[in-house]
Amino acid sequence: MHSILVVDDEKSIRTMLLDFLEERYRVATVENGEVALDWLEKNPCDLVISDINMPGIKGPELLYRIKQRWPHIITVLITAYNINDYIRMAKTYDICNIIPKTSPFNFDELQTLLHGLLTKEIFGLERYLRARHTILTTAVITSSQQSREVREEITDLFQKRFGMVGEMRLTIDEIVTNAIYHAPRLADNRQKYQEFTEVELLPDEYVHLTAGFDDEKYGVSILDGQGSLRRETVLYKIDRHIHEEGIMDDSGRGIHMSRLFADRMIINIQANFKTEVILMNYFSPTYRGFKPLYINEI
Amino acid sequence: MASHSTILYLGLAFAAALALYLLFLRYKDIKNWESLDNDSRLPVKGSGPELARRIRLSKQQLETTFDAITDPIAAIDGEFKIARVNKSYAQHVNLPIPLILGRTCFAVFWGKKQPCPNCPAQTTFATGNEASKKNVSHDDDTGGCYDISTYPVVDRAGTTVNCIEYIRDVTEEKHMLDQLIRSEKLATVGVMTAGIAHEMNNPLSGISGTAANMLGMPQKYGLNEKGINRISTILESAQRATVIMKDLLNFSRKQESREALQDLNALVQRALSAIHLGGFNAIKKELLLDKKLAPVLCDPVKIEQVIVNLITNAAQAIADRQAHEPAFKGVITLSTTTTGAFARVDIADNGPGIPEAIRAKIFDPFFTTRPPGEGTGLGLCICYKIMQDHQGRILFESRDTTTVFSILLPRNAPGP
Repeated sequence: MHSILVVDDEKSIRTMLLDFLEERYRVATVENGEVALDWLEKNPCDLVISDINMPGIKGPELLYRIKQRWPHIITVLITAYNINDYIRMAKTYDICNIIPKTSPFNFDELQTLLHGLLTKEIFGLERYLRARHTILTTAVITSSQQSREVREEITDLFQKRFGMVGEMRLTIDEIVTNAIYHAPRLADNRQKYQEFTEVELLPDEYVHLTAGFDDEKYGVSILDGQGSLRRETVLYKIDRHIHEEGIMDDSGRGIHMSRLFADRMIINIQANFKTEVILMNYFSPTYRGFKPLYINEI
Repeated sequence: MASHSTILYLGLAFAAALALYLLFLRYKDIKNWESLDNDSRLPVKGSGPELARRIRLSKQQLETTFDAITDPIAAIDGEFKIARVNKSYAQHVNLPIPLILGRTCFAVFWGKKQPCPNCPAQTTFATGNEASKKNVSHDDDTGGCYDISTYPVVDRAGTTVNCIEYIRDVTEEKHMLDQLIRSEKLATVGVMTAGIAHEMNNPLSGISGTAANMLGMPQKYGLNEKGINRISTILESAQRATVIMKDLLNFSRKQESREALQDLNALVQRALSAIHLGGFNAIKKELLLDKKLAPVLCDPVKIEQVIVNLITNAAQAIADRQAHEPAFKGVITLSTTTTGAFARVDIADNGPGIPEAIRAKIFDPFFTTRPPGEGTGLGLCICYKIMQDHQGRILFESRDTTTVFSILLPRNAPGP
């Protein structure tokens, strides 16, 4: 059984997480960073969930110290504040996952994330859908020309089925464009294909799409077999756009916009092997508005 | 808003005109203003032709200056009868000059049967000093807002025989000032609420999360049916508080640029399909969409939020009217058009209308006509802020039983 430590100065959050997580894991809770470090000296631990704003050591600093001392421990931040304000901090402290404290709290989402991080099973849209889900379609993109047809086919499916697609047309377009033009690299790491040109992909450059839904959300996974996207790149791109530094150029705009437009954007990376971007929208506005940061690396 | 240099220029021009006028009166020792009408006849008695020429020239210069002033000016006598007006005055009251002269200023300019209360001209006549009154508007609140200044014209004996009334249209200035005050108010409230909302979010998340845990695993907590019942109530209350908190966050959130070229017609239809209100289906919806409307750059989520909010308000207004008139048939008309540099969406309803007394307050934060618990009073305030972020506008007109809210988005703007 995995062992999890919860660090939060708000008692109701500690007990809430304890009650939920102890059904599946060994769980301990502490109220600040000092006590957390102390506890970790004496107890084995696989994963730490820490609040950001606490008296004493702040969450990011705490997680940084933990990673220095115990590199095997997985770390996750949790906050009631606007996560966009913390992207720069995430860049500085090497944080990949920030969970929003929504009301009502999204236990399902937390469980999915923790399970993925602990088991290293992160790839695949179905992992992010509830147990009872439906895969609507899968498609393989072999050329830039055909990517438009696939995008239309998927958005049409959503529209017909749910009467809504949100901004999926735009976000799929942005992410697929990245997968076609930015993922394939030459030996010297230069981009292989020029954007806005018609491209025929080689079999190992094909982009795989999966669309599906469960009773609360629908979404699409866009997977490339290159694995050239890096966590630092993602954070850098999101950060500069949040700080309006990227207005004059297009670099990273796709990732930033997709995160803004989709209710959820999850980025799974297995370096030099594959990259998956999952975009999901909720049917109801309950969990909308709080944008988590999810970058999973194995 | 008129720039400072324009105001200075107008002031100088006005002073020059007044000085010329007084000089002219002194020079000719004119006591009878009847002869000072707007035709070019001159009361020149027993003077040489050179003097007459100079006087005529002087009068022409004076009139040109007088008419060049773009603010309305009138000379009135002790009975408020108008002896002279400039072109701007005539344009403002939309009457030819001959039809104005001899009538009273309160009738011509203000449409009243007797002098206005606290008329500055009255003060000028009584004291011989200049007087002024600021922010004067028509009783029915139609038309503009004016600053009025009155200056005495004295005869040789020092008696105030006439009064120059200088009217400055400050409608636009006042509008800008109101907007400024409103946006400052919004900014202050925004900063304040952001802090409160996030602080609230923390315990609220704990409360609702704990309640959800307890409802999900009642045996774990040894809960009986009554306990489950009470916990449900806690969860419901927490949800309600969450809605308010989200409104507050929405209102205070730093703007994120999510602009995209957007078809407003599609946005209107999407907003319409996003509304799930009791009785909404029974309301007749009329769509008058301009098919040629070009897409505009905007944040579609936020603009949809504005439209949804306005349609919801319209539907609630209709429901309010139906509460008193059960047979009443409500209609919501949604139209899109182009107005100058703006793309425009109108949301009209035939509800009870907005009472005049609250019209000035409807965009204020926390102003609501709904009973406590039914609204946060932030809806229109958020709409206002969203439109402001888009360099657009939100306007409304409420006459009898027709209320129209219009949102205007710049057609060639950089977006929010």
